[in-house]
Amino acid sequence: MTRFMKWLGVVVVIFIAAPLVIVVPMSFSTARSLQFPPPGYGLGYYQAYFSDPSWLIPTWNSIIIATATTVLTMLLVVPATFALVRHQFRGRSIADLMMLMPLAVPSIVMAVGYYSYFGAMGIVHTHIGVVLAHTALAVPIAFLVLSANLKGFDRTLERAAMSLGASPTKTFIHVTLPILRPGLIISALFAFIHSFDETVVSIFISGRNAETLPRKMFDSIRQEADPVIAVISTLLFALVLLGLVGPRLVAALRNRRPRVQAA
Amino acid sequence: MSYLDLKGINKSYGQFVALNDVNLSAAKGEFVTFLGPSGSGKTTTLMIIAGFEKATTGSVEIDGRPLQGLAPHERNIGIVFQNYGLFPHKTAAENVYFPLQMRSVKRAAGLKRAEEMLELVGLRDFGHRYPKELSGGQQQRVALARALVFEPSLLLLDEPLGALDKNLREQMQIEIKRIQRALGVTTIFVTHDQTEAMSMSDRIVVFEGGRINQVAAPLDLYHKPETRFVAGFIGESNLIEAVVTDPVARTASAAHLGEVEYAPTDKAKKGQGVTLMIRPEHMRLSRNPIEGRRNAQMKVETIVNYGDNALVIGKVGDLTMRVRVLGADVVIIKENQDCCISWTPDAVYLIAK
Ligand SMILES: Nc1ncnc2c1ncn2[C@@H]1O[C@H](COP(=O)(O)OP(=O)(O)O)[C@@H](O)[C@H]1O
Ligand SMILES: [Mg+2]
Repeated sequence: MTRFMKWLGVVVVIFIAAPLVIVVPMSFSTARSLQFPPPGYGLGYYQAYFSDPSWLIPTWNSIIIATATTVLTMLLVVPATFALVRHQFRGRSIADLMMLMPLAVPSIVMAVGYYSYFGAMGIVHTHIGVVLAHTALAVPIAFLVLSANLKGFDRTLERAAMSLGASPTKTFIHVTLPILRPGLIISALFAFIHSFDETVVSIFISGRNAETLPRKMFDSIRQEADPVIAVISTLLFALVLLGLVGPRLVAALRNRRPRVQAA
Repeated sequence: MSYLDLKGINKSYGQFVALNDVNLSAAKGEFVTFLGPSGSGKTTTLMIIAGFEKATTGSVEIDGRPLQGLAPHERNIGIVFQNYGLFPHKTAAENVYFPLQMRSVKRAAGLKRAEEMLELVGLRDFGHRYPKELSGGQQQRVALARALVFEPSLLLLDEPLGALDKNLREQMQIEIKRIQRALGVTTIFVTHDQTEAMSMSDRIVVFEGGRINQVAAPLDLYHKPETRFVAGFIGESNLIEAVVTDPVARTASAAHLGEVEYAPTDKAKKGQGVTLMIRPEHMRLSRNPIEGRRNAQMKVETIVNYGDNALVIGKVGDLTMRVRVLGADVVIIKENQDCCISWTPDAVYLIAK
């Protein structure tokens, strides 16, 4: 049984890693289009990516939109999560459900909806339009992550802080916030990644003005299969890896140096 | 001179009455224990004193000053919670510094004071450790240091030793008493463990179903319980239903035992239903009746050996009786044998309620 599980694990890892094994070498390819295995290796497509405005502008758009989406999402999700997790009120379960609705509706339905709705409002093909749409989609994800964290939060800690002389505000600043920080960061990261990665809605409403990176990649692969796509995929993968490993590295380094010296 | 006063406290959660007319006074520096089964209202009372719960009616006063209207952080009351409530993102020293930080003490001076406090609770050189790097007993000590460092007007401990194993528990009982005496802080200690209450307290408050059942010094509680509940809750006892037959001759009649003479009391009235309490260690076990004592025939059912002593449990008629004997004496008796138990009238304590 354990043997079977082990092999299953190996298969799953191979399955997940396979695209990387193909994409990463292709980004260093010298071929004219996507081709595996590459006939030769070079940095040509990295240079192409970093010098071509038709790639850099969508990249920049995506960064701006994802950042704005993250900020807006967190502004909505943090108070909402505290209210929904900690307080009993009429209609709470309905509010809970509404928070998660965007997860249940197919993206394409959302996209069509936004297209006609934002069209009427005159914000289709604008950054604001994309940010609003992405926020609606990121809210349930950020909410799920944060509410799981908040449910696991031991409220005795807040009572302890208050008994020790901390006002509710100071309790929030000195105790609640620092302890929830990892949850908040992960929640924000998910919101950012969701926006950065979102394709379907972007294709419908981002237009030329607010063109996002995934939309540009989609257009590109349909037209010419430009190996720059492999470059972008590799860079994104490196970034995610950094995001995952980075914090652990920092924590490991910090643990080696005790912060308070014994008197 | 009373220092802490609880006056007529009632607490209801909807229809459910969690506290029913709780009144209590404690002197400055006193160590008072709340003892009672789970759900009897001990924590609720503490939380009302601390300001986390609001009493439906009644008031709490410290040193003659009502606490009403003060938020928890304005009350200057130290609390040790059962699961310690240490801040996981702060070191032991930073945890102990926290209440000083909230009182605007500078970091350097505050951390120095925190280290001194940690030393008092026996944790010198542990200041730089995070809670997860400390054992349960050590975390307990940090929580105690943190609750005491700001010189609170009252210290509340809610079942603080519940999560510790037996040896560590006993060690911490002694530690807590030592530190409490050294600082002279008025303390309320909550427990459902009667031996813990007996060994630590100046006075014990027995809770039952949201009411205070009895308030007394540990030995008074043991020897002079006012209610059947207290008699049954504190230590082992034989509780016998009886009816007073003659208050002058001090006799009551009980099923299976007949007329039983009891110790002097002013509580008995003729014809009244009462409970007679005889502690197992106040009875003697023998093969034959002993002259000058009240004797009864008992059939031994179970012998529980504790090494230094043993508890012999058997039946007099349908009545279950427990007798404590010295470990060395237990050889004279075997299970399923008939034997004699005996006592003197002084050992029979009458409980009117
Ligand atoms: N917030 C609450 N709502 C309803 N009932 C409660 C609440 N808090 C406590 N109780 C009830 O009050 C009673 C006393 O509880 P508690 O003071 O915690 O008991 P103890 O600490 O002696 O075990 C219990 O029956 C408990 O179920
Ligand atoms: Mg309790």
